[in-house]
Amino acid sequence: MNWKKFFFAFIAAFIFLFVFGFLWYATLMHDAHREVPTLLRPEADLKSYFGWLALGQFVMAFFFTLLCTRYVPGGRAGAGAMLGLLVGLVYAGPHLISFAVQPLTFKILCGWIAGAVIQFTIAGAIVGAIYKPAAEQIMNVKERPR
Amino acid sequence: MKRFILAFIAAYIFLFVWGWLFNGVLLKDVYAETPNLWRSQSEMASLFHWIIIGQALVVFSFVMIYASGFAGGGISAGIRLGLLLEIAAIGMRLGFYALQPIPGKLILYGSIGGVIEMIIVGAMVGAIYKPASPRTS
Repeated sequence: MNWKKFFFAFIAAFIFLFVFGFLWYATLMHDAHREVPTLLRPEADLKSYFGWLALGQFVMAFFFTLLCTRYVPGGRAGAGAMLGLLVGLVYAGPHLISFAVQPLTFKILCGWIAGAVIQFTIAGAIVGAIYKPAAEQIMNVKERPR
Repeated sequence: MKRFILAFIAAYIFLFVWGWLFNGVLLKDVYAETPNLWRSQSEMASLFHWIIIGQALVVFSFVMIYASGFAGGGISAGIRLGLLLEIAAIGMRLGFYALQPIPGKLILYGSIGGVIEMIIVGAMVGAIYKPASPRTS
């Protein structure tokens, strides 16, 4: 594992997930979310829970980056984006289940699914573009007997 | 392809039964503490197909990720993939906890259940799916 590149990829993924989350879910979908006020904490309470949101994004970015480095050990934006797309679909599944059990609107469901797919596809491309294995690892792979 | 379908079906059946046992039976009383957050039983029944589609999407995408990046690693690779995906999903759950008035214990129990679920799904997929061996002339 190239920890230096991993660290940069993780920070970039974290920043992207955070900014995208704010733009997509809190800004673009703000009005759609306000259609179901009982499902959301009051705006005044949100500040006191902000730490949980940040911690959640941190955990998500760290383990997503780790997954990318295992899945695409050589790095590459395209392969990272492909993994991100599949991860986005894995997380879109629970949104469909939430729609069946929580009084969400169809507009919110579509927004959440589109958000998850776009967010993880781009995050995967970012991690794939930044993460590269250490030179000695590449040498080891090349020198391995066939 | 045959192995892919078998892995998908086995993992899907497990996920369906586990989801019902864990959420519908074990955590029933915890969900009942916050009725304003959930649809009525009759509404849920009419939207049940969304649960089936959602679970199928989770399993299909999981097997796709395993088949394209982890295949050949066996059970341990499947478990590793399940754990990585689930711990990242715990991050997502924390985000939902910050935004929705969901009780903390539901997040905790859901995360524990999720880890167990994805370890078993990963083990099943890893045990069943095997990459096609290269053809020799």
